[in-house]
This record gives sequence, structure tokens and C-alpha cells, in this order.
Amino acid sequence: MTDGPLIVQSDKTLLLEVDHPAAEEARRAIAPFAELERAPEHIHTYRLTPLGLWNARAAGHDAEQVVDTLLAYSRYPVPHALLVDVAETMGRYGRLQLLSDPAHGLVLHALDRAVLAEVLRSKRTAGLFGARIDETDVLVHPSERGHLKQVLVKLGWPAEDLAGYVDGEKHPIELAQDGWHLRPYQQQAIDGFFHGGSGVVVLPCGAGKTLVGAGAMARSSTTTLILVTNTVSARQWRDELLRRTSLTAEEIGEYSGSRKEIRPVTIATYQVLTVKRKGEYPHLELLDARDWGLIVYDEVHLLPAPVFRMTADLQARRRLGLTATLVREDGREDEVFSLIGPKRFDAPWKDIESQGYIAPAVCTEVRLTLPEHDRMSYAMADPDERYRLAATAAGKHTVVDRIVKQHPGEPTLVIGQYLDQLHALAEHLDAPLITGETTERERERLYAAFREGSVPTLVVSKVANFSIDLPEASVAVQVSGSFGSRQEEAQRLGRIMRPKGDGRTAHFYAIVARDTVDQDFAAHRQRFLAEQGYAYTIVDEEDLDGVA
Amino acid sequence: MAISAYLTALDDEQLVALLRRRPDLATPSPVTLASLAVRATSRSSLERALASVDAAVLQAIEAVVALAPEGPPSRERVVTAVAGTGTSSDTGTGTGYGTTSGAGTSPTPDAAGADAAADPGQDAAVVARALDAAIGLALVWPDDDGLHAAPGLAEILGPYPAGLAPAGEHDEPGADAPTLPDDLPADSRAVLDALTWGPPVGLVPPPGSPAVPAVARLLDTGLLVRGGPRQVVLPRAVALALRQGRTHRAVAHPPAAAWPVRRPEAVAAESAGAAERAVRLVVRLVAAWGEQPPSALRSGGLGVRDLRWLAHVLDVDEEEAAFVVELAGAAALVADDGEERPSFAPTEDADAWLRRDLPGRWAHLAAAWLESERTPWLVGTRDERGSAHGALEPDLHRRWVPRVRGAVLDVLAAAPAGAAPALDDVLAVLRWRTPRNVPPAGAVTALLREAALLGVTGAGALAPAGRALLPATPAGPAGRTTAVSTAAPTGAGPAPTAAASTGAGRVLAAAALAASLPEPVDEVLLQGDLTGIVPGRPSERLAALLDRTAVVESRGGALTVRFTPESIRAALDAGATADELLADLTAVARGGVPQPLQYLVRDTGRRHGVLRAGVALSYLRTDDAALLAGLPDDPRLTGLGLRLLAPTVLVAAVPPGELVAALREHGLAPVLEGSDGLVVHAPTTTRRTRPRPRRDERPPDETARLTALVERLRRAESEHLGTARPGPAEPAGGTVAGGSQPAATLADDAQRTGRGAARPVGGALAAGVTDAVGAGRAAGATRPGGGVRAAGAATAGRHAGPATPTTADGTADPAAALLLLREAAAERGLVRVDVVGPRGVLERRLLRPVSVDGGRLRAVDPAREAELVVAVHRIAGVARVSREEARD
Repeated sequence: MTDGPLIVQSDKTLLLEVDHPAAEEARRAIAPFAELERAPEHIHTYRLTPLGLWNARAAGHDAEQVVDTLLAYSRYPVPHALLVDVAETMGRYGRLQLLSDPAHGLVLHALDRAVLAEVLRSKRTAGLFGARIDETDVLVHPSERGHLKQVLVKLGWPAEDLAGYVDGEKHPIELAQDGWHLRPYQQQAIDGFFHGGSGVVVLPCGAGKTLVGAGAMARSSTTTLILVTNTVSARQWRDELLRRTSLTAEEIGEYSGSRKEIRPVTIATYQVLTVKRKGEYPHLELLDARDWGLIVYDEVHLLPAPVFRMTADLQARRRLGLTATLVREDGREDEVFSLIGPKRFDAPWKDIESQGYIAPAVCTEVRLTLPEHDRMSYAMADPDERYRLAATAAGKHTVVDRIVKQHPGEPTLVIGQYLDQLHALAEHLDAPLITGETTERERERLYAAFREGSVPTLVVSKVANFSIDLPEASVAVQVSGSFGSRQEEAQRLGRIMRPKGDGRTAHFYAIVARDTVDQDFAAHRQRFLAEQGYAYTIVDEEDLDGVA
Repeated sequence: MAISAYLTALDDEQLVALLRRRPDLATPSPVTLASLAVRATSRSSLERALASVDAAVLQAIEAVVALAPEGPPSRERVVTAVAGTGTSSDTGTGTGYGTTSGAGTSPTPDAAGADAAADPGQDAAVVARALDAAIGLALVWPDDDGLHAAPGLAEILGPYPAGLAPAGEHDEPGADAPTLPDDLPADSRAVLDALTWGPPVGLVPPPGSPAVPAVARLLDTGLLVRGGPRQVVLPRAVALALRQGRTHRAVAHPPAAAWPVRRPEAVAAESAGAAERAVRLVVRLVAAWGEQPPSALRSGGLGVRDLRWLAHVLDVDEEEAAFVVELAGAAALVADDGEERPSFAPTEDADAWLRRDLPGRWAHLAAAWLESERTPWLVGTRDERGSAHGALEPDLHRRWVPRVRGAVLDVLAAAPAGAAPALDDVLAVLRWRTPRNVPPAGAVTALLREAALLGVTGAGALAPAGRALLPATPAGPAGRTTAVSTAAPTGAGPAPTAAASTGAGRVLAAAALAASLPEPVDEVLLQGDLTGIVPGRPSERLAALLDRTAVVESRGGALTVRFTPESIRAALDAGATADELLADLTAVARGGVPQPLQYLVRDTGRRHGVLRAGVALSYLRTDDAALLAGLPDDPRLTGLGLRLLAPTVLVAAVPPGELVAALREHGLAPVLEGSDGLVVHAPTTTRRTRPRPRRDERPPDETARLTALVERLRRAESEHLGTARPGPAEPAGGTVAGGSQPAATLADDAQRTGRGAARPVGGALAAGVTDAVGAGRAAGATRPGGGVRAAGAATAGRHAGPATPTTADGTADPAAALLLLREAAAERGLVRVDVVGPRGVLERRLLRPVSVDGGRLRAVDPAREAELVVAVHRIAGVARVSREEARD
């Protein structure tokens, strides 16, 4: 029993006291097998999950090392039952192996026949297997590789995937680090990814995930398929790649609604893959068009469900998922892990902030009281209508005004969900409005003006959620959002997190109507950020002037 | 020498020792030594003594019994018989023909035990000690010529002690040992092997089986004898020869304990954690049942639904909930309240218990558990009648529970510190300790689980706190670790009540627990995501504060909680204010209270109490506030309990009627309104009773009345004989004779009350009534009740009803009809009668009435010469018919 920085709870959470001198050492020791769940200011919470322990096994750690680590850093005696459980869970890994047999193809090999029997008997594995070769081996349909791994995880008998990766067609790509360098954490992310083979990299907004993708591409130096959320993102990726790598314009193709170019590096949208005509997916051929060596999933938390199934074929190739916020309101994060791969890199946002790579940010929630008349309408409205009524309360205009006036000259974004509210705000503030309907040319023009400072304030709709290169702002004011979406909140915060030249703090304001569903949703939305250490200061509208 | 002589010859110290080892001999006190001897050899006493011996002692006793036919064996003989001589030829498992694989009847020595028998010297010592123990229990007694088994012991041990057949002709002392031929074929040898170590009886093989010749051969050579029609027996002498004189294959050593050892800190920490949890659950149970005592079933136990609810409240499974309930019951913290409808509630002792500190509370619970006879693991199982046992049911106790619990804890205590035996290991040791009285495996499993839940054991090993609970025995902990015989006498000893029940024992246990508990932490780390973490075990004050204000998320070495609007609101509901809460939190928070939490507390406080509910019996509302303004303070209205809720709303503590009356007296003019807002006139409940006939009221002028009456009669008569007039309408199915009466009465009523026709009547009759009213009024409007009837009848008859069939001198008037019928009967005349048939159809019949009375007309039908009876009320009309007319 040491005076260690870690407290092991019997519900398999690990509490790491950040202020402890040995905290950093302990963190590095537990990172291979424990998942970071929350990172507020004093105590970070990690969790031991079967998936995490199995990934540790896959990476070469064994149960004894895990137990030793826990015992070494734990402040209080570790519950005996937990140690037994860890050993038992880790022992389940590797009894089944996925091998690439030269004669038969993809084969599931069992080191423990009883386990194989159990797995074959299960209903969930129906249709994934081919013929039984002998007592310990059974054929696996190659297209079901990812699906099978997922099912085996659910059954509690994870398979060690030794079937290797198809290298893919070689294509030279290099990072053109002229005048800039990869940051240490970006390098770590790339290394972590490559070491693991496939997986997800989680980095806060503004920390440069695109570069991590580019770096991975350079390391792999193969043909690459990049899947993004929309055409604007596709264009931004293209620009970034042109700027940062040795790739030329001819080598990068776009495969979207408007263009269908298949090149050594092809950027496609999720949407075009999921288009269905006459019961068929006409664009799935893209996946077989070239011998892709690397597949990058941008904003992988948005991966639509059908794409899960489809791109499971690509299991034989390296897959990199990039995101800032791996939380889904439908709780399907696990599917991402089991289909793309486990988290290969994750860093608390505050850590990256303290390293100076993202701007320090202060989050504030401004609560305004609805006037009497509005309160009455709200109280008598239908439940479906309530959020809209609260979110678009007229009183929010004055609050936005006051906030903007408190930050004179700073590039400010006003973000919202409802177009009429945004129109009214744009008029009220005398600022341009960008929505999905704004033409691309107009958008570029406004972005440029915003960047150079001639337009200090932009009012934007949901497009703000997705664009990679919405110009950097230092103040963001959110008047409404899509209900309780945590990752939307985090994405919007990300709009202002690129470090400023003068190192000044970025400000994020959420304006919320008191005692309404707006307030309830806001509490939910903020939870992810609060757990990352970005706790919201809550201020009443009347006290706004005190906040700087 | 008989055993009684032996017992008498014992000195005082030895006798006392014997009585201590076999307590049943001393209670009730025997009168003489002879009666002591008798009791000592009674079957029940022998069985009880045997139940307490361990496996080695049992072997020694069996050997004495088995060797008895040759004469009382000497000590050495017994020792060699059980332990062997230690020579290489005597492997102990072999027969004269080599190793066997047969089964034995003696308690099968543990495989590890067999290995441990490698040391023959030690084995001999073990057997010697076992013999001494057996002698000490007077199960075996020494004599000059050898050792004797107590009389009656042989019967208890069964017909084949040590697997040997009863004595036969070859077993006389001094008889020659049978010779074993050398050339016995393998199949015969196999048969012998099977029977050598017992049981010595085998079934004759069926004809045609390959074993037949083998058995036959053996029978021929006398190595087997017939035991019954289908049995063969291996004679004792032969068996002994085959066994080379051994009675047992090997000495029964206690199971070697190669049990895993846990680190002492882990054991202490887990035991402390479990102890804390158990105390916390009992506290919560007491609180829950203090608020909502569950009712007891008729069987005296707790219902399944109540147990399930409790499991939900405590957040444990039902098995553990049952244990917590029984624990609290055993500790006298909850009990049946003995009311008419009994329910379980906390006792007064519970309050005193709650005031103690954690170690004290635990020691009380643990001491109660140690002595308890309750069997919580039977909760939920079904009894013979199929009904499920409920917790706290009076039936759920067994007298042997404390002893078994003591035995189990003994096993743990005897092991080296930190040793954590598995369940099977514990059972094996228990089986060795008392082979003739093995505790049920289910009970042992449950007791081990309870010990873990309570914190008596931690991580499977006996914890310091648990050890402090157990009494130190005379043999002492050191004595336990040496095997065999020293354990035997104490194994069946009294239940371990000695230390725990004493105050000193509890203090020790509490101190041991306190030493195991980690230092309490008195501060909490509050974070911006509204969580709080206590990096260790929270102090009582801190734990109470966090329990009040937050939701616990995770327990263990540290405590994590989350503050939610609901949890803050619950704290405010309990009476705290937002400022108090913030002050309390600031005092314990390392690094202060984060702004989001401060804001949450204040915001929740702001909303708390904004809505107010209360009781009122009536309200008073108005649009004019000035009216209400002075009322609550008005001294004349204090009895009404008036309170101004809003400028225009006032509530009172009296019902609305009283309020309105009081205000009216006060000079105001309130009205009552119903729940729809409409004004309701207070129903002046004017009462009515049935009218009494006014006998004493007389009309002013008698003569005038009578004259008027006669006039009316005359008038009616003339009209009657005049134009045909319709009679009163017949009410459907009603009486015609009485038909006018209701009409008249109705008319009276209508007159008197002046209301519209309130009572619904059949259509025709209603028409009759309205006409009657009119007629009645016309006849004599102000005439008081009573005599109107006849006149009313006449007038009613005149004006009312639709047409009814009549003849020229017929009538439909009931009274007149009756008259006609009577006259016809007197003159023996004919009448034409309209009769309403059963289906309501009018029939016209020619009849000669005979008599009319009692509502019935007896008449003769001349055409058919038949007499018939017609109910008068079915007669619609009557007309005289002359004989001439009738003939047509």
C-alpha cells in the first residue's frame, strides 16, 4: 500500500489524482490498458473495460503487468476480486486467432476447442463462417472479417487478428515540412496509429487532425481513400494536402455528388457511398476501384450506420479514424472501435492546451429570464414546440449585442440552429449571414473578409459544425443548437480553439433561456466539455458586464 | 473387568475430564457411577461422542472393534493394524497379492494424506494419540488383557467394521491363519481384490458370467463362503491375511493445507470495506423500515414483495437483502412489533446502536451473527407444503448453526494467517474433523459467504477483526495446528459464545476493525463537471453531508458523487437553505466550490419554495380587492380562520356554507359558486314529512256540506243514466276499480302544491289527471282534502280519457259496473261484459253473473254452460242484456 496517485474502485474505475507528483508516470503506465473517461480539473477517471484490456493484450501486455501496475500505483489495497477479474478477462484473449492461410484464405484458428465450439454454436455468428476445415480451424468469409471480430468481442472471446494487412498499391507521399513541423502529440498520434495497425485518433478541435491524417498517409505511402462528411470538407482536405504534402493536384481526386474522380488519393463523401438506387448502392465500386493501402475516416463519430456494414470489406486494409469527440447520442461508440479499431491516441484537451497548441478557452453560459409574456406562451405550448420557443426567445438578441460589444474588434461567430432567428440576428447586428444556401463563391468571399478583419462578425448556421476551415474566430456566441448534442457543442467550441498570435484566450458563450428545456439541453451539451476540464461559468444576463 | 469397573477406577481428575469431554453424561447429573456407566454406554450417548471424533480417532476405534474377535488387542497391535509396521513390504495399500484398487469402508484417506503417510514413525504416533483420545472419551477402555471397545459401539459402527466380515470359525483366538494358495488364477485374484478392503459381501454372479468359475474356485478352496442365497462373503481371517493384518490402508491425516495466501493489507482492507458496507446497509434498512414498516405475513415472516423492495432500496440482490434483514433481526435492531396487524419496525435498541461509532456498530452486529441460530440462506426456498420461507420467519432457525459456524471459522483460524481456502478445501477439513457428523455443504457455503459479507473474512481469509471475535480456546491457536487428536475433544465443544458475548470480546473486535479501517479523509475535491471525489474513506460528517446533497456514483477506496438538481433539491426539502449548503460544502472542499456548482445550488434554492401548497376548506374571491382587505384582521371574523392568499383571493378554515352565512351577518352579500363558476343557490333544505290525515279539522257548516253532497250525488246519477260518456281511461295493467282514486289523489296534490304535474304517469292517465285537475278545480277549488274523492271521481269520470266501448245502458264506470253486476246476479239476468284478455285484447262475452265479491265475478256462460271466474279489474265495460237480445 503506497501513497500512490491512483485509486482503484471496485466498479473498475481508476481515479488518478492529477496533482500527485507521480501522476504523469502513473498515467503513462495505465494508458495501454485503461480508457480515459473524464478529465476535469482534479481527478481524471479511467475505466477498465474488456475491450481495453484485450487491446492491451493485442499490444503485447499481459495480465501480470497490468496487475503489477495497478498494485504499484494504487493508494489503497486493490480489491482482490478485481484483480482476479482482470486476469480472467485478459485470459480470454487470443484463444481464437484470425489467420491468413495460403491455401484456404481467411481462417479462424482456435487454440481452445471448447471456445470454438461455443462460438460456432452461437446464433450471432450464423452466416459468417464457411466450411469447417478441421477440429480447430474454420473458414471465414473475407467480407465478414470486421463483422466477425465485432461479434466475437460481444461474445467475450476476442480474436487475435494475425491475418495481416494488405499493403495496397504503393504511391509515394511525403510531408513537405518547409517552415513547419509536426507537433509532438501529432507525431505520437501517428506512431500510435501505425504501431496498432488500425484505429481511431482522438484530438481536440483545432489540434490539427488533418495533419495527423497527412502524416499517416506519408508514413504509409500508399494509395489512400479519404472519407469525409461533405463536399466543403472534401475541398478543405484537398487544400490542406496540397499545402502540406508532396501531392499534386492531379494526384488528388474528388468523388462526390458533383465529381467522380478516382485518383491515387481520392476524397469521397459518406453520402455518396450511401446513395441507394433501385435497391443497390451504385458507388460501392469505389471501394474496389483501387488497391487502397490506407483508408481515412474523417469525423468518424459521424459515421453513418450503413457505412459501417459496407466498409467492413475494407477490413484488410489499414483504417484511420479521426475525431475530436467520440461520443454519440445513440451510444454506438463501441461499434466504431470494433469496426475501425481501438483508440490509438487520446489526450486530455487541457493537456494540449497547456502545451500551447490550442488556445486557452473560457466557456460561459449566459442565462436570460424570459419576459412574462414569453413565459406564458412557453408554458402553454406543445412539448414539441417548446425548445424552439425557448431557443429563439427575442431577449437573446440584446444579450448577443452586449457580448459582441464586450469584445470589440475580435473576430466573432454567432452560431444558431433556426434560420429565422439567424436572419433576425444578422439584421440586428448588421452582420452577414452564412447558411447552407449561401453560394460557395459568396462563402469564400465572406470568409476572406472575415479573415482579414473587414467583417468582424459572422452569423452562421449549422454549416459551422462541419467545415474544417471555417475561419478562426476568437469569440463564439451560440444562441441555439440541435437539442442535447454534446459533440455539436464540442465542435463549435473547436471553432475558436486555434491558438491566437498573441496567445489570448478564446471565449465561448452559450445563451440559454432560464427554466426551460433550453436550460436542460444546455446542461447535457456541456457535460462532455465539462468532463474535459472546460467547465462553464454560469452567469445571469444582468451580471454579464462583470465577465470579461 | 467391565467398563463400569474401569470408570469407577478412574481418579477424580480423569472423571472430570471425561465429563467435560462428554457433557451429555453430566446433564442431568447421574446419581451413581453405575448409572454413569450405563449412560455412557447408551446408544445416544455413544453416537454423540462418535459424532465429535475426527477421522484418525475413528480409525483407531474401528480397529479396536474389528480386532476384537481375536481377543482384546494390545496398543501395539492397534497401532500396527492402522499405521502398518513401516517396512518396505508393507505398503499399506497392498494385499498379499500386490496392489489393489478396491474401495475401503474406512474414511478414505485423502490422497495427500496417503502421501504424507510416508513417515511411518509419525503415523504410529498419530495412531497412538488417537487411541489416547478414544480412551479419554471412554469409547475404548484399557484392561490388563488389552483394549476393549465400549459395549454397544460395535452395533453403531455397523456389521463390517473396517470392512471386515463378522467373526467366523477361523477367527477364534489362537486359530490358525488361513493359508493363501500361491497358484490362484488372475480372475479369482481379482474377485478377492474387490472384496479385500470391504465391504466383504458380494453378489453371486449370474450363470453364464465369466466370474462364475472364479467364484466357484474360491468357494471350493474356502477362501469365500456363502453368506446367503445370493451372496458370498470374504471371511474375516482371509481378509486379514490378504491385508497382511492391517485394518486400514493408511492413517487418515487431515487434508494438507496448500491454500493460497493473501497479503495481509488486502485482507484487512477488504474486511474493513465489507464491514463498512454491512453497517451501512443495516443503517439504511433501519431508516427504511422506520419510515415504512412492512407488514408481517401470517407465517410471521417478511413477504417476497417487501424483500424485493428492500433489495431495490439497498441496491443489492435478494439473497444479500435477506442476510441483512436477518442480521438486523439477530442483533435485535428490528423486530415484529406485536400489534394486531404485525409489522416489522426498528426497536429502541436501534437508536442506541445508531449513536455508536462504526467499529462499535460492527462489533455488535458481528457478535450477534456469531451466536445466531438463524438460517438466512433458506429464505426463498420452499418448505414441505410448498410455501416459500420468508425472512425473519420463526421457523428459520436450527440449533446446530452456531456450532457449524464455529467449526468453519475454526478451520480458517487454524490455517496460517492470510490463507484463503476454497469451499471444497473447507469441506474436506470439516469432513475430516467430524466424519460422522459432516455439516451440510449448503450451510457451509452460506456461512462462508456471510462471513465475507460481514467482513469477518477478507479476500477469503480470516481477517484480524474476525479473529478478534473468536474466543481463545484452552488448546489455544497453537494447539490447533497440530493435527488429529487434540482437535477431537474440542471440535464438538460448546458453540463459540464465550468471548464474543462478553463486552470485552466486543471491544477487542471493534478495536481490531478500527485498526483495519483506513484513516478517514475529511475533504472532498469538487470539480466543474459537478462531480465530487473523496480520495479515501470519508469521515462520518463528510459522508453524511454528501449523502444529503449528492448522488453516490462509485464506492471503493474513494467515494465519487455527483451533484444534480434533484439531489440539491432533496437537501433543500429536508430543511437546509442554499446558503447553509454552500457554507457546508465550502468548509470541506479542497480548492473551493467550482462556480457551476455554486450557481446550481443558488439556482435550485431560488426555485425552491416558489410554489406553495396548503389546505383550505373554502375560498372567497372577488374582483374588488378592497372588499377583502380588512377581513382577515377583523376581530369579529377570527373564528373563520381567514387568510389572504392574493389581493383578490382569501381562504377560510370553515366550510363554504358557514363562511357565507358569517359574511352575510357581517353585512356582505356573498354568493356561492359551483366548480363550474356558476352561482348556486344554497339549497334551503326545507323538510317535508308525510301528511297526516287531519281528523280534527271539520268544515264550518256540517249541514251545508251534506246538502251539497246530496246534490252532487243526484247530479251524478242523472248524468250516469244519461248520455254515454267515456269512463276514466284505464291505466295499462292497473286497476279499473281503483283507477279513479289515483287520479283524484293526484288532482289533490296538484292543487295543493301548485306545482306542475311532477309525477310521471302513463299517458292516458296523465290526460286524466290534467282533466281531473281542471275538474277538481271546477268542482270545488278550495275544498280541503278528504271528501273530494267521490266528487272528483264522478267529474273525472265525466271528462277524462279516450273512448271506451259501452252499450246503451252499459257503463265502463267501475263502480256502476259493480252495481250492475250485482243487480244482474240478484235477478239472474244476463249481462254483456267486455273483458280484457291476458293479451290485452278486449273480449265481449255474454254472461249470467252468479256472485260478485272479493274482486271476482262468478258467472255462467250460458252458451257453453260453463262457470267461469273473471277478475273484476279486467272488466272494461258491463251492459245489461235482455233475454230477447241475448237470444240473437
